[in-house]
Amino acid sequence: MSIRRTSGLVGAVSLALVLAGCGSSSEGGPDTAEQSGTRVFTADNGKITIPADPKRVVATGYAVPVMIEAGAPLVGISSWQRGEPMMTDEDLATYKKLTKVAGEQAAETNYEAVAEAEPDLIVIGVPAPVLGDIDVKRLESIAPVVAIGPTVPSAWRELSRKQADAAGALKKFDAAQDAYEAEAAELAAKYKDVLPKLKLGHVGAYGEVAKGTFQREFGGSWGTNVAEDVGAKYYGKVKESGPGSRSVSEYPSIEELPAAFGEADVLTYSVNADGSVPESVQYVLDSKLWKNLPAVKAGKTFPIRYTEAATYGQALKTLDAIDTSLAPLLKR
Amino acid sequence: MTTAAPVSEAPAAGRTVVPQIALLVGGLVLLAAVAVLSMGVGARPVPPAEVVRALFDHHGTDDHVIVRDVRGPRALLAVAVGAALAVAGALIQTLARNPLAEPGILGVTAGAGFAITVGSALGLAVGQAGELGFAVLGSVLTALLVAAVGRRSPLRLVLTGVALTAVLSGVALGLRLMLPDVFDAYRFWSVGSLAAREQAPLALPVAAIVASLAGALLLSRALNALALGENVAQTLGAGVGRVRAVALVLITVLCGAATAVAGPILFVGLIVPHLVRKPAAGSVPWLVLYAMVLGPVLLLVADIGSRVLLPTGEVPVGIVTAFLGGPMLIWAVRRYGAGSL
Repeated sequence: MSIRRTSGLVGAVSLALVLAGCGSSSEGGPDTAEQSGTRVFTADNGKITIPADPKRVVATGYAVPVMIEAGAPLVGISSWQRGEPMMTDEDLATYKKLTKVAGEQAAETNYEAVAEAEPDLIVIGVPAPVLGDIDVKRLESIAPVVAIGPTVPSAWRELSRKQADAAGALKKFDAAQDAYEAEAAELAAKYKDVLPKLKLGHVGAYGEVAKGTFQREFGGSWGTNVAEDVGAKYYGKVKESGPGSRSVSEYPSIEELPAAFGEADVLTYSVNADGSVPESVQYVLDSKLWKNLPAVKAGKTFPIRYTEAATYGQALKTLDAIDTSLAPLLKR
Repeated sequence: MTTAAPVSEAPAAGRTVVPQIALLVGGLVLLAAVAVLSMGVGARPVPPAEVVRALFDHHGTDDHVIVRDVRGPRALLAVAVGAALAVAGALIQTLARNPLAEPGILGVTAGAGFAITVGSALGLAVGQAGELGFAVLGSVLTALLVAAVGRRSPLRLVLTGVALTAVLSGVALGLRLMLPDVFDAYRFWSVGSLAAREQAPLALPVAAIVASLAGALLLSRALNALALGENVAQTLGAGVGRVRAVALVLITVLCGAATAVAGPILFVGLIVPHLVRKPAAGSVPWLVLYAMVLGPVLLLVADIGSRVLLPTGEVPVGIVTAFLGGPMLIWAVRRYGAGSL
């Protein structure tokens, strides 16, 4: 699977922060006002009255893998091919079995299929600006709709919890979170004498990596946020901060490789789930400027798989991939 | 190349040959200066003296690597692509006797884009070599089809090219709308760029461009006669059919190779012939020579702009030439008048 996201999605993710006015409340989770069998839930699209214990949930976008992992009572989902390589066999089987009520794009929502699924809750996991591609009013005529979309990359933790909470599926979610945090703590202890002392840089592979440029990901980005839980320190910050992922990653010219990574002790780079190197990253690895970097000359470059993790289950795979990749650091 | 009898230069051209040579030499000096500048300017500035050292006394420092392995190949590509598009433009405008003709009017660009789209949909146009191969294939097949249908007259040729462009563009657009991943792959190719080509297999397309430029120079005298009209050309002994066929082949190779390696770059093929028509004084050989020099200058300047316009990253050169091309065309029309067109 290519880890490059489509421009529309990335742009939409970016715009999500701009339109923070329609984002979720800082507290997340449900409001206190509860009625018999329902509760008021704060989402990107406002305060929505939803069932306290939903029985038939439709999920789309980023909410799909979250709901499957959390064991939510799903009756329909959107297609989510980009997440397939990161699913467990069991989750993948569930994903394939579920009725698809929407395509990969928000605009490909099949309203009749949603209605046929007879949901009592619809959870839309797309960035707030992409909501414009969806006829929310039409969906609201079918069931309560809560939109909980991605903002900055590292916020997947809070957003996925909120999505699971809306669907009343926090029990399994919390177990996955606990497993992740335990594993992260274990790895942090394992690498505590090595990682925190090093300056890391990361070459990413998602978004608009145009010809002649590369993606540099800083702390809090997709390619770095899980490694940070292990104690990795990615240095630097974007030259011009933008909304969403643009606040933690940028796309400089290949000529800026020495300036970007000249100080790095260790360099990591994103690879596909099958270990293959994305074209945009391969371009960097083949550059003579890359081969001139001190970290590269010292042999301290490490591929990282599953850098698109947006659920605790997926992030567990990322942790394993990081441990496998960085293990040589412990021997030096 | 042609059996055309020697054709006299236009009287005006004969009188101005010394200034024309001086202008050509001046153009070459300008080209050299812009080329050195283009290797010094970018995200990481390199002083001109260091640029020269990088080329002739390479020590493998970051500056030297940038000049020799990133900007050097890029400047050479700009020269090749700029010359190819400008000369192709000069040839098609002369051949079609249409001042609005540009290389893409024969459908070559649309053919390359269509092939890239289909190749991406099939999962075959992957990587720079894959894209290059499909672009060349699309260009050549389209040109062959256009030539086969429209070879009898310039008007028929242009109409066939325009019609095929519309058809191929429409089908390709439909495919891209249905397949978002294909659209994603296509959009990076569709905006012409000279960036990141230093690792691509460019020897063959660049060699094809160089050979075609030489061919264009050899053919230009015969085109002088054709520019006067078919009847006059035949009276002068020019083999109209053969000249036109060879010109078509050259235009196809020049435009196809340039589009394959850099993507569609608008305006260079349209604007450069207009800018050099006045000093060429009605002589097709001088028109081709000047286009061969000014095309690279224009593209190098645009490429420098593409590197410095954004604080981070680059603007594809195709966008810069589009921005430059519009005003320059208007300036040329106002400066030289409609007669020059």
